[in-house]
Amino acid sequence: MALSTVAWVTMLLAILALPGVAGAILIRSLRTEDRKLELLREQGNIDSYPPRALQELREWVQTNPNDPYAPEARQRYNECVRSLREIDEPYYDWSAEQIEALETIEE
Amino acid sequence: MQDSETRTAREEWGSRFGFLMAMVGAMVGAGNIWRMPFTTGQNGGGAFLIAYILLLYVVAVPGLMAETMIGRYTNRGVIGAFNQILESKRARGLGLVVLIVNVAVMSYYAPIIGWALYYAGHSLLATFTQPGFQPQAFWESFISNPALVIGLHTVTMASIAGVLLFGIRRGIERVVKWMIPLLVFALVAVGVRGVTLSGGMEGVAFAFTPDWTYLTRGSTWVAALSQALFSTGLGWGIALTYGSYLGRYDDVPLGGGMFTAIGNTSVGLLAVFATFPIVFAFGIEPTAGSNLLFISLAEVFPELPGGALWAVLFFVSFFFATFSSGLGITEVGVTTVSEETRLSRTGSVLAVCGIIWLLGLPSAYSSSFLGQMDFMFGSFGLPLSTLAIIALVAWKLGPERARVIDLNRNAGIYVGRWWNPVVKYVIPAVVVFILGYGVVTSIGTENQTLMILGIGLMIALVVVSTTVMSVVGDVSSGSPEPTSEGGN
Repeated sequence: MALSTVAWVTMLLAILALPGVAGAILIRSLRTEDRKLELLREQGNIDSYPPRALQELREWVQTNPNDPYAPEARQRYNECVRSLREIDEPYYDWSAEQIEALETIEE
Repeated sequence: MQDSETRTAREEWGSRFGFLMAMVGAMVGAGNIWRMPFTTGQNGGGAFLIAYILLLYVVAVPGLMAETMIGRYTNRGVIGAFNQILESKRARGLGLVVLIVNVAVMSYYAPIIGWALYYAGHSLLATFTQPGFQPQAFWESFISNPALVIGLHTVTMASIAGVLLFGIRRGIERVVKWMIPLLVFALVAVGVRGVTLSGGMEGVAFAFTPDWTYLTRGSTWVAALSQALFSTGLGWGIALTYGSYLGRYDDVPLGGGMFTAIGNTSVGLLAVFATFPIVFAFGIEPTAGSNLLFISLAEVFPELPGGALWAVLFFVSFFFATFSSGLGITEVGVTTVSEETRLSRTGSVLAVCGIIWLLGLPSAYSSSFLGQMDFMFGSFGLPLSTLAIIALVAWKLGPERARVIDLNRNAGIYVGRWWNPVVKYVIPAVVVFILGYGVVTSIGTENQTLMILGIGLMIALVVVSTTVMSVVGDVSSGSPEPTSEGGN
């Protein structure tokens, strides 16, 4: 029995959206893990937030200075900034200018 | 409660691959192999798949991100995570609710793993291809033999205990790292064989030809919502528990959220390929549910060329799917008991597996009791557990706080602000809707009494758990406390 065009399209879309995406995520996840481990071996440390997420963390700390979780947020922010200053090669896509412009937050 | 200062360093996953396989293995279970194919068949084939995939991305992926995140953030099992985030001792009882629901679910799931073990064992003995094999009689003589079913339930729990005794890295991870790839390989192999059978493509056509009228039916969307929410294991406490063993540099959203939800459903799709072509090639009723697996498919394997091999691949992979889920469900209890009592890991494994074995005896003895337990805990217990975990992240910790402080930390993908309303409003609304729908559709049916019993049981569970925790809850672990080193 030949499949109709719409059945073919639905089947291929399902394969693409499920096993296709799962396979791509698996490969990406394993590769990024390898890169993290490699950087950790070489540098002993890596940056823990991408630029956009670190910016959001800073904004959150500034708008919620008295939040009970603010001390932990400040600590995590500063830890990432210090790591970026210490390491030669960031894990996330940070430019030298972006790192230069970063400032720690008073804890 | 055990003093945290006396704890040894918390174990972590040995590899990324091991964590991902453990997560998928825990979520892929009997529901994926037998439920997804016939749910797809009952609800318009391709139309259902489209609705399901859409809801999977919108609901299940963000939900699993939240659950895995709270596990890594707190570095604790279910009760410990609730204790760490909540100030109210009474509210911490919700963690106990999650634990009890898990133990109850495992008590009737363990006999099902025993069924799968029995069929896997007989497939290896080539029983299904013996001359004169009668699948219906074989199934009935098995299920009506309490000693045999209880024996297999015992072997199942002993095997799970045997794996869990070795811990996360040397136990669970070591097993799932080969079990899940083999499961996928076996389903692909059976699927390829199925579509190359004469008439097999009719099954593919049935599964993937969309009947668009089904998209206008509420029942299709409810089925898709239920499948997206509960077949992915969201809110069972497994993602929280497995996430608690992640290291500080590990990603949550890509692996714990996206891969777990989509990988789990991918196995369901492979099950569609592995069953429907065979079902149609041999003229079997495609909506036969569990009978499809244990009776109908056992009947067709002898008729396939090389049937003994295909039977081995299918039934052993089905056993792997159920067993790896059993490991995940049981580990929720083991992690929590080892953290919250003075028992060692070994003592916790023996205690939890022993309790599950004991509570599972009625379900092993009577499949109708098993069905009643499944109805009550599957319909009301698991949604309650999901609500508790999602509420912890969305309503107590807060989605924005969770997202900026922890979810995007060391993440493989950036999670934007869209995540906040999904976790805070959409997922709880969906769970409440499914709960309400289950109640309404049970009224006036044979399940009405069970439904009332199930709701009463869940209310009692919440009352007892919150009362117990208000008495024995550990005040010192209240919120907001900095997380332990592994989660930092």
